[in-house]
Amino acid sequence: MNASPEAQRQQALLAAIAGQAALPSIREPQTRAARGLQAYRANAEALAERALGAVFATVQPMVGEENFQRLACELWQAHPPLRGDVGEWGGEFPEWLEAHAAMARWPWLGDCARLDLALHHNERAADAVFDAASLALLESTDPALLSMQLMPGTAVLRSRWPVATIHAAHRVDAAQSEAAFANVRAALDAERGEQVMVVRQGWRAQAVVLTRAEADWADSLLAGTNLSAALERAGEGFDFAAWLATAVHGEWLKDVVVLRD
Amino acid sequence: MAGRPAEGGAGIGLRQPHYTELFGAPPPLGFVEVHSENFFADGGAALAVLHQARELYPVSLHGVGLALGSAAGLDPWHLDRLERLVQRIEPVRVSDHACFARAALRSGGPVVHASDLLPIAFTEEALAIMVGNVMQVQERLRRPMLVENLSAYLSFADDSVSEPEFFAQLCRRAGCGMLLDVNNLMVNALNAGANDPVAACCAFVDALPPGIVGEIHLAGYRQTEDIAIDDHGSRVRPGVWRVYEHALKRFGAVPTLVEWDTDLPAFGVLLGEAEQASALMAKAATA
Repeated sequence: MNASPEAQRQQALLAAIAGQAALPSIREPQTRAARGLQAYRANAEALAERALGAVFATVQPMVGEENFQRLACELWQAHPPLRGDVGEWGGEFPEWLEAHAAMARWPWLGDCARLDLALHHNERAADAVFDAASLALLESTDPALLSMQLMPGTAVLRSRWPVATIHAAHRVDAAQSEAAFANVRAALDAERGEQVMVVRQGWRAQAVVLTRAEADWADSLLAGTNLSAALERAGEGFDFAAWLATAVHGEWLKDVVVLRD
Repeated sequence: MAGRPAEGGAGIGLRQPHYTELFGAPPPLGFVEVHSENFFADGGAALAVLHQARELYPVSLHGVGLALGSAAGLDPWHLDRLERLVQRIEPVRVSDHACFARAALRSGGPVVHASDLLPIAFTEEALAIMVGNVMQVQERLRRPMLVENLSAYLSFADDSVSEPEFFAQLCRRAGCGMLLDVNNLMVNALNAGANDPVAACCAFVDALPPGIVGEIHLAGYRQTEDIAIDDHGSRVRPGVWRVYEHALKRFGAVPTLVEWDTDLPAFGVLLGEAEQASALMAKAATA
């Protein structure tokens, strides 16, 4: 089916703004039309940088303002928004960044972007209230029939890079900055990977470093695995009682649930 | 909440840097307005703040992403999110723009969203598209909406309907209202090289049917060497105030928003602008 004339016109204008086609038939004289087109392009470039910077708050200072602005514009062209909420844009950035030739000297950037994205998603996730009464199920029910639900937006990332340490170094004030970046350098030199859980404390998302056993446990919970199997996967080094106390205090836990067949 | 707070006087946009002052000592305002899309998330702090604001003021949901003029149609995801937000907030008004944003970049390609308010043509076909899309939104939300006139930096050579006539027909056929952005009229008049921009804007106002305007927007614009940019980053300019007074005479004391989205001023400055609008509304109401 051929597109209608209006559909063709709109497609042509959008392509012209993206620099992929000439302007459709415009009323304004050429100079004026070029200035109008430039205004729309400037809007898109400014919005791309602002929207991406709001999500990838660690990556932005890591690559520098100028590079980040260029990357945002490139991403806008390569993966334009599909939704009318720019908060939904940028999901492709981590993988795209990892594959970007100019970023190859910073191989941890992709995982840092993944952490930024997980934090962003966490802060947009549904609000939920901890069901303390559901803890009683732990006393009364076979753990093979139970699971635990973590708060909406909780995510676990496993990286071969110290992504939480890098993230933290970009959030300290100037007085602590030197020590924080010394930690980053030491972790990178030691090739220390990190497992990170993204949780919400109050309204802000936080990156919590986990042991491998804790990450296995959290992964199992996120997959809806029963508690017996989750404990088995986490292994003997995992201290369930200590984790539960931390999870309740840290508002990580939503509830304990009985699994259905 | 015992009931929706009453609306009276001009409104302002709800902006994070002003939260402390707004919630600490809520000033008398007609309403607060937000961009709907900023509250599309499932949860989080922004939505909590909006619920808090709703306890104090009527809330107007003003969208920037429905893309009502898109020949590609509406995004069902967007409509779902907007419907959910309307149910959550029970806004006093719902509005968006007479623009397009959704289109494919190439034939057969995926429909992308430009995240901008791109100009539509003023033709019969564009009108039919807009009427259909607006009616679809209204049926879904089960309420009428307002559609705002754009500041447009480009227009099309084959426009065949005047912009006021386009809005008159849109409102009649779709059963919607118009959100008249006076600053946008001024920006367009300046960029069109009008000899007397205020007179041009007043003529636009006079060409609109008297009953269709449900809200008015005021804002500042930035005049560069070669173009006026609708940046909502400064005080309302004197010419815009004059056109506003003219519009109040024609349409009555309709709810009015002072938009200030970039280079946010001190809260008191924004309130001063809103107070000026409220005073003019009061004057129009008693005239």
